[in-house]
Amino acid sequence: MTQPLIDRHDVELAALAAAGGRREFGELVRRHGSAVRGLLRRMGAQASLADDIAQDAFIQAFERCAEFRGEGTFAAWVKRIAARLYIKRVAKEARYIAEAEQEDVAPAADQAGLMDLDEALKTLSEPERLCVSLCHGAGMAHPEIAAALNLPLGTVKSHVKRGLDKLRARLQPQSAQSVGGTQHVG
Amino acid sequence: MSADEFDPEIERLFARSPHLPDAALFTAQVEQRLQKGSRVRFLALGLAGVIGGVVAVRETMSVNFGGGDGVVAGDALGQGIRSTSLSVQSTVQGGLDQFGLGGLELGSMGGMQLFWIAAGALIALAAAGVMKLSQEM
Repeated sequence: MTQPLIDRHDVELAALAAAGGRREFGELVRRHGSAVRGLLRRMGAQASLADDIAQDAFIQAFERCAEFRGEGTFAAWVKRIAARLYIKRVAKEARYIAEAEQEDVAPAADQAGLMDLDEALKTLSEPERLCVSLCHGAGMAHPEIAAALNLPLGTVKSHVKRGLDKLRARLQPQSAQSVGGTQHVG
Repeated sequence: MSADEFDPEIERLFARSPHLPDAALFTAQVEQRLQKGSRVRFLALGLAGVIGGVVAVRETMSVNFGGGDGVVAGDALGQGIRSTSLSVQSTVQGGLDQFGLGGLELGSMGGMQLFWIAAGALIALAAAGVMKLSQEM
């Protein structure tokens, strides 16, 4: 009896997709579509643009599925493809090169008075947001980001550091709570 | 919270997938694009194969059997083959005429013409390679 798709591991599904299995790849899209779309939105893409790029990323991932060896997670692999596609898109508009800092925007708080990551990211300047998302969302190393964005390594590092400092200041109460919560579990 | 404690925390927050209400629609759109892409590829390859096959059959017929009196003369089997080949050839020719390729004679092309055709094909192949490479960069 064949195992249902839902029970299969990502690596197994990717191997079947590499052999042309569109149904298996569809299951991978179902599992990780929101994560990829979410990352693109966190990087600063508008919802419709994020969806377009996420679709392109998955199509490209299907065509290159044989290259996925399972060294990292499938989601991380597609996220990197999507991140690179987004960088190519914004590079055309030369948006991230603008060094001017944006005015700090007052973040909207949720009902509990706590802010989520998406809201906190909106308070970062565009280059900070992009660098932090690429580093911590797409799992790219600083030199990799510098090469992809065509920026000096020092600039990337300072964007990431400043961005994280701002996020830490905004998210501190929420982070402290959730970290405290996970300590009890272990 | 120190930076060392905050870094894993921020990665954990990034790893959380947002709940998007149109997730099913997104999956359906990707599947639709995959299906469309494979259909187009199948049609293009099929069409190229059919055209190539037709041209190859036509060329083979005209080379082997067009003036093949010396090869099959006096042989009943040979006559059968020749008549079959002639009927196939006329059918193929009719098909080619329909597509406006009736005048195509690869064998009659000069060396220079074949050279330019081959050069054009190589240039197209190189351009496709460069495009593919630039997409991956």
